[in-house]
Amino acid sequence: MTTTARYDNGEAASVVLEQPIVRVSGFVKRYKKHVAVQGVDVAIRKGEIYGLIGPDGAGKSSLMKAIAGVLTYDEGTVEVFGTVVDSERAAERVKQRIGFLPQGLGLNLYPDLSVEENIDFFARLRLVPEQELLERKARLLAMTRLEKFRNRAMKNLSGGMKQKLGLICTLIHEPELAILDEPTTGVDPVSRRDFWSILAELLQEKGMTALVSTAYMDEAARFHRLSFLSNGKVLVSGTPTEVQALVPGSMVTFEASPQLEAITRLKQTFQQVEALGPRLHVFTKDLDPAQAVQHIEASLGDIKPDQVRVDDPELEDVFVSLLLQQAENRQVSAIPSAAKPTDNHGLAIEARQLVRDFGPFRAVDHVSFQVKQGEIFGLLGANGAGKTTVIKMLNGILPPTGGEGWVAGADMKTAGGTIKERIGYMSQAFSLYLDLTVVENIRLFAGIYGLDGRATDQRLNWVMSMAGLKGYESNLTGRLPMGVRQRLALGCALVHQPRVLFLDEPTSGVDPIGRRHFWDILSKLAREEGVAILVTTHYMSEAEHCDQLALMYAGRIVAEGSPGDMKQGVEKEAGHLFEVVADDPGKALLELRRAGFAGAALYGTRIHLFCRDPVRDKDCACGVLESSGVKVRSASMRPLSLEDVFVYKVMALERQDRATTQEAAA
Amino acid sequence: MMNAVSGLGSQRAVIWWHRLVVMTRKEMLQLFRDVPIVAFLVYSFTLAIYITGNGIRSQLHDASLLVHDADHSVSSRELIHRFQAPFFRLNGEVADSREGLRRLDRGTAVALLEIPPRFHEQLVTGEPTAVQLLVDTTNSANGLSAASYAARIVARFGQETVLNRVGRAEESSDGLPLILSEHRVWYNPDQNEAWFECISHLLRQITIFALLLPAAALVREKERGTVEQLLVSPLTPFQIMISKVLAMTVVILGATAVGLFGIMQPVFGVPIKGSIWLFFTLTALFVVTTACMGLAAATLARNQGQVGMMTLLVAAPMLMLSGITAPMEAMPVWVRYLMALSPLRYYIEIANGILLKGAGMNILWDSVLAMVALGAALFGFGMWRFRRQFA
Repeated sequence: MTTTARYDNGEAASVVLEQPIVRVSGFVKRYKKHVAVQGVDVAIRKGEIYGLIGPDGAGKSSLMKAIAGVLTYDEGTVEVFGTVVDSERAAERVKQRIGFLPQGLGLNLYPDLSVEENIDFFARLRLVPEQELLERKARLLAMTRLEKFRNRAMKNLSGGMKQKLGLICTLIHEPELAILDEPTTGVDPVSRRDFWSILAELLQEKGMTALVSTAYMDEAARFHRLSFLSNGKVLVSGTPTEVQALVPGSMVTFEASPQLEAITRLKQTFQQVEALGPRLHVFTKDLDPAQAVQHIEASLGDIKPDQVRVDDPELEDVFVSLLLQQAENRQVSAIPSAAKPTDNHGLAIEARQLVRDFGPFRAVDHVSFQVKQGEIFGLLGANGAGKTTVIKMLNGILPPTGGEGWVAGADMKTAGGTIKERIGYMSQAFSLYLDLTVVENIRLFAGIYGLDGRATDQRLNWVMSMAGLKGYESNLTGRLPMGVRQRLALGCALVHQPRVLFLDEPTSGVDPIGRRHFWDILSKLAREEGVAILVTTHYMSEAEHCDQLALMYAGRIVAEGSPGDMKQGVEKEAGHLFEVVADDPGKALLELRRAGFAGAALYGTRIHLFCRDPVRDKDCACGVLESSGVKVRSASMRPLSLEDVFVYKVMALERQDRATTQEAAA
Repeated sequence: MMNAVSGLGSQRAVIWWHRLVVMTRKEMLQLFRDVPIVAFLVYSFTLAIYITGNGIRSQLHDASLLVHDADHSVSSRELIHRFQAPFFRLNGEVADSREGLRRLDRGTAVALLEIPPRFHEQLVTGEPTAVQLLVDTTNSANGLSAASYAARIVARFGQETVLNRVGRAEESSDGLPLILSEHRVWYNPDQNEAWFECISHLLRQITIFALLLPAAALVREKERGTVEQLLVSPLTPFQIMISKVLAMTVVILGATAVGLFGIMQPVFGVPIKGSIWLFFTLTALFVVTTACMGLAAATLARNQGQVGMMTLLVAAPMLMLSGITAPMEAMPVWVRYLMALSPLRYYIEIANGILLKGAGMNILWDSVLAMVALGAALFGFGMWRFRRQFA
C-alpha cells in the first residue's frame, strides 16, 4: 500500500519548486531471491533534506547506494541531475557532484589518520584546490567544534565526533547532493541533535540537497519531506505535517490504576495502548480531543483516568498506526503469566557510592541509586558517560574501585557468583549464537543456568509463547528479523526466571511495532512478576517507559526522578518549549539566536526554542522575526520530550565544564 | 547435617558438569554448522593424506641425466648404462659440454655426466683418469642425492675395473682389503616413504586444526559480543575456555581416526605396532596442549583475521622445525632449545614411536611429561590473559 500525501501545504513553500534533482521510479533491487526493494518512487527537489525512515532491512541502504551510483539495481530508473544512472560510466559522470556517507560509525574514515589528515585525504581525492581546502577546512572544523582535535587520531574520537568528521569528509568537495546513510545511529541524543543542526545550517548556507536515512522515528520531524519505508515499499511520503494529517487523531496520556487491568480493557477498543511508567498513552484514531477522552472513559469502565492530557500525535504514533494497517492480521501473541506471582517489595539493586577508575581516568564517580522489585529503572547518558561500567560492576564482572552494591540480595563484592545466577542480562548486540537455531539457543542458556530437563521444557514453552516465536523453532537465529531476534535474546535472558534484568541498549535497529511489543513484555514482567529492570537506551522515546530515571554525565548521576519530574524540573528551569513555523527558517534561526534565544534549534522547517515566560517570550520572539522581515506562520507550545530534557541538561553541564576549564586556565 | 552439605556439594558438581557438557555440545554444533570448515577438515584428513602419501618422494627418482661422451668406447658405454631407472633417466647425449651446461641452466636436465677422451685407453693402460658430473642442486636434497648415487655408481665401476685389471674375478676378491657395509633397515623394512610422509602429514593437520579451531571459536565470541553474555552467566572463565578445547579435541580425534583407519592403514598399509588406545590418549593430550597455545593467541587477538595470522606465525616454525621436515639433530642448538617449547616436537616422537616402533609408556614417559608440563603452563597463561582481558 502506498499513500502519497497531496502536496498542498503552505509549509513547504520555502522549498524552491523546480525539477527534482533525483528521480527514482519503479526501483527494484534483489539480492538473489530476496527482494530488498520492490517498486519505490522518490523525487528529491533541490535544497531540501529528504528523509528515508524505516527499520533495519526496509531497503533504505539499497536505495541510497543506487542513487550514489555504487549499487546496481534490477528494475526501474534512477535519474540523478538529469542523468540516468544505469551504468558505471553514467555513475562516474554524476559522482563528482555527490557526497556519500555510508552506514556505520566512521567506517569510511581511516582510524590511524588524524582528523586533519582524514579531511585532507578526502579533499585531495576530490581534487579540491589547496587554497579552498584551507578555507573550507577551517570553516567546517569551527562549525563542528572539532578544531581542538585537529591532530587527534580518528580512532580516539567519540562516536558523535566521528560522525561529524565523516560529515566533513563527505562535504569537503561541496557536493550538490549529500547522501547520508543512518548518520545518527549509535550516537547519543546530544551529539545527534548537534549533528542535525550542523547539517541543516551547512545545507542552508551552501544550497545543498541531502538525502538522509534514519532508524529513529523521532528524527522524522527534521526532514522537509520524507518517505517511510517498510519491507522494501514506501508506506507513505510527504512533508511531516502531511504525513501526520494522514492519520488524524489524538494522543491521550493519563494515569489509571490498576494499570494492567486498564490496559486489557483499553486494548479491546484501541490498537495503540502503551504503558509509560505509571502513565498510559493511548492513540485514538479519527477522534477529536473531547471525543477521545469520552471514548477512553467509556472503555475503562469503573477505572477512573487521572491527570488526563491530550496532545497531537507524534510521527512515531502515525507510523505505528500505518504499520498496523498494513499488517492487519499480524498476530501479537498474548504474554503468558508467570507460574507464581511474587511480592513486589524490597530492593532489587542498591548502589552506594560506586567508584571505578581506569588508570588516572575516573569512569564512575560516586554513583548511588536504588531500584525496587517491579520497577523499571532507566540509566541515561551520552556515550562514555559511564553507564556500561556501572552495569558491569553490578553484574560482578568488573570490581569497583570503591563503594558497595547489592544485587538481588547478594553483595556484589563477595557474592559475584550468586549475583550471576540471579540476574538476566541482554546486551545491545543481542548476544545470541546466530548459527544456532531458536530452540538450541534457549536450551543452551537453560543449560548454562543449570535448569534440569523438566524445568528446561517448561521454560522453553514459556519463552516461545512470551516472545511469539512459535513457527520459528528450527530457524537459524541469524535469519530471523531483528524484532524477533531481540525477543529471543530477552527470552534467553529470562530463561532462569531472574529477579533482576539488565538491558544494555536493547532496542537498536528494531522497528517501532517490534519495539512496542518488546516494551509490553517488559511492563508485564515488572508489573506482574515483580522483576526489577535496569535499562540503558539512546531512544529517548523509550525512556518514557521507565518508572525512574537517572541521568549520568562524566561518571556522575546529575539528575534523578520519574520522567514527569524531570520534565517539570526543566520546565521550571528553562521554560516551556515553543515551536515556531516561519518562512525562511534559516534566517529566522539566526535572528532568534542573535536576540538571545540560545537554545533555538532547527527541526526540518520548524524552530524549537525555550520560553521562560510563555506569553512575553513568545511575543518577543515573534516580534524579533517580524521586525527582520520573516513571516511567522504559527507559534505554539509543545509538550517537552525526554530528549529535550536530556539535551538541555547535558548542554548545561557542558557549558559549566567549559566555564570551569576557562576559569582554571585564567 | 553433614549429609545435606555434601548433597548440596554433589548437586553443585552435577550442575558444574552439566554446564560444561552444554557448552561443549554448543561448540560442536557451531563447528558443524560452518560448512567451509567442515569441508576443509574432511579434505585434510582424507584426500590430502592420500595425495601426500602418493606424491612426495625424497628418494632420487627419475633424475634426468645428460651425457657428454667424448670417448665412445666400450668402457664409456658400460659406465653410462649403469645409470639406471628408477633413479636416473637417460635424456640423450650432447655434442659438447657447453650445450650440456645450457640444458642444465634451462632446467631440462638435472645432471650432466662428462666422460673425457681416452677414457677407455687410460683405464686399460692403468693411467689415472676421471669423469666429471655436474649436478643442478637448486633443489639441494634431490641434487645431492643424485650426486651421491652417481658417485657410488662410478666408484663401483672403478672398483670392478681395478679387479678385472689385476686379473681377478669378482668372486675371488679374497686377498684384497675390502670393507662391506651391510645395513638392515628397521621399523620400516621396505623403506616405504609413504608411511613416514602420511604420518607426518597427519601430524601437521592435527597441529593446524588444534591451533586454529579453538582459537577461532574464542575470537568469534569476542567479535560477536557473545562472550559478554557468557561472562555475566554463572559460567567460570575456566568452563568457557575448556569447553572449546574439549569440543575441538573430540572432533580432531574423530578426524584422526578417519585418516588412520580410513586411508593410512588400508591404502598405504601403515602399521600400528603399539597400543592404539595409548596413541589416541596421547594424541588427545597433544591436541589439548596445542589448543591452549591457540587460545593464548586468541586472547591477544582482536578479530579472526589477527588470530589467523598469529596461529600461522606459531604454526610455521613449529611445523618446519619440530622434526617433521628435517631431523632435530641437524638443527642449530638454539633452535633445538626453542623447539623444546613446541608440543609437536614431543608428539612426533610419540606418534612415530607408537605407530612404527610399538613403543609404550616405558619409553615415551619423558616426552609425555614434557608435554603435560607445557600444556599446563600454556593453559595457565591463557586463563590469566582471559581473566585480565574481561575483568
